[in-house]
Amino acid sequence: MTVSINIGRFILFVCLLLGIIYAGTARATEPYEIVTYPGVKEKTLSKNSLRAIFGMRLHIWPDGAAVRVFVMPDDSPLHAAFSKEKLNVFPYQLRSAWDRLVFSGTGQAPTTVGSPEEMLARVASTPGAIGYLTKSKIDDRVNVLEIK
Amino acid sequence: MSSKSNNSMRNRFVGAIILIALPALLWSLPAQAEKLLKLPKLPELPKLPELPKLPHNLQIHGFASQSWLKSSDNNVFGKSSSDSGSFGFTEVGLNASMRPLTRLQFSAQMLSRRAGEGSPGNVRLDYGFMDYTYFSGESSQLGIRLGRMKTPLGFYNDTRDVPFTRPSILLPQSIYFDRTRKLALAADGVHLYGERRSDMGDISFQAGVVRPLVRGDEAEVAVFQQLLPGHLAPEISYTSRVNYDLDGGRIRFAVSASQLNMSYAPGAVDGLRAGSVRFTPLIFSAQYNAERWSLTSEYALRRLEYNNFGVIPNLDFVGESYYFQGAYRFTPEWEAVVRYDVLHTDRDDRDGSKWAASPASRGRPAHTRYAKDITVGLRWNVTPEFMLRAEYHNVNGTGWLSTLDNPNPGDLVQRWHLFSVLGSYRF
Repeated sequence: MTVSINIGRFILFVCLLLGIIYAGTARATEPYEIVTYPGVKEKTLSKNSLRAIFGMRLHIWPDGAAVRVFVMPDDSPLHAAFSKEKLNVFPYQLRSAWDRLVFSGTGQAPTTVGSPEEMLARVASTPGAIGYLTKSKIDDRVNVLEIK
Repeated sequence: MSSKSNNSMRNRFVGAIILIALPALLWSLPAQAEKLLKLPKLPELPKLPELPKLPHNLQIHGFASQSWLKSSDNNVFGKSSSDSGSFGFTEVGLNASMRPLTRLQFSAQMLSRRAGEGSPGNVRLDYGFMDYTYFSGESSQLGIRLGRMKTPLGFYNDTRDVPFTRPSILLPQSIYFDRTRKLALAADGVHLYGERRSDMGDISFQAGVVRPLVRGDEAEVAVFQQLLPGHLAPEISYTSRVNYDLDGGRIRFAVSASQLNMSYAPGAVDGLRAGSVRFTPLIFSAQYNAERWSLTSEYALRRLEYNNFGVIPNLDFVGESYYFQGAYRFTPEWEAVVRYDVLHTDRDDRDGSKWAASPASRGRPAHTRYAKDITVGLRWNVTPEFMLRAEYHNVNGTGWLSTLDNPNPGDLVQRWHLFSVLGSYRF
């Protein structure tokens, strides 16, 4: 009798736990877009170029302007989702690629911002900037970039 | 004694910060001077010309790391076999990079490394070069670097002194032995680099003509196993690496080939003649990266030639090294690593018996010619900036131990253990 009650509680607990995990993933995959400084002429970009830009290996837009990359912290759910879905790499791979560049002098690290509000403000005000934002945070101060 | 050396370390570190921060500060001074001049509002003063914008893309990064090592026998980075172990492994680095033009980057790193008798912790220029991107397109780029560049060897040589970029406290010593690090660490000269990106993967290369940094006791001991009256001088050398990354680095391959040349200038009273030494490492590297685990393996052939030294016969032998390494990330904070690492100083004399029987060994035992190291380690990223590590090595052989830290061959023990912990901070 008590055993079955305990099992019932256990199932309830597992359901709650799964619910929390599901809620967590649901929040992480809230729709987002890649955004650029309004002066950036590019409206579409290939996946390879996007990867090279966020890998800090492509520094120049086709019109000759410098690329400025903004990212969220490594442990942010949006950064993880963006890395996996748009770049097809894991956050740890990006971090080690950036470290290899920074500590051998052959490149620079992207600028890490602390919040979506800061991402919006920095991308909107930095010529050549590129970043990513959830759709609900995007306004007309930035352009949305389409990936081919 | 130790606090004194810590103090001088700190002073050097502060010195390095000042060295790098000062130019940036000086750069910003004229901007402030302009503001100050505007305050009195004197119309007769000539208007200062428009100043260029401050370099927003100046980046400064650094790290500081301290290890403790305790070995059952044999010394690694200080007296690690003593009862209290060794705190003699300290790494501190500070770098700055700037892009004054979209195609031009300047980078430099100052490094202090205290690791046993061979590395006393003096601050030196680790790298310092200008990088000009000659061509940059959507799928390819080509550029040139001038100055002091890290030698591109395998996956880890470029950032070997930065704990955050290493898979373990000690890199796999068979390939990245600390004993000969000086020969292959960095070199002065010119590198060409390029990259081609496509759906079939990204191919990149760098190739250079350089002069290796071979001055100093550490390099001399690495080459001759002892200090000699004369000194080594760099000769024209060649270095190259080709990388192939598939699917954004899920699978990575690299082939590195270098030929490092140096000559020996005999001292006033010297049994040796003006001979030459050639080191030709060839390394094949492969890595697979999944979300939770990474598998890495590297295989190296290291040819070493000694010519025209007179009293010692000409030598030409090929060393062989390889390792297999698995890393598993339980969470982004916790990572475990396991590795099997093998070194043979001479692939035609794997157990060192032929060498031990020859007069060239001067009584050093056969196990100084190989080493098989089983390593297990744990990494904890306490915060993104602070990391703790612990690892254990079970080693058969003494092939990669420093002769400066282990001067008496009779003290060497074939089978030994090493335990180490490391704390490292970065920004």
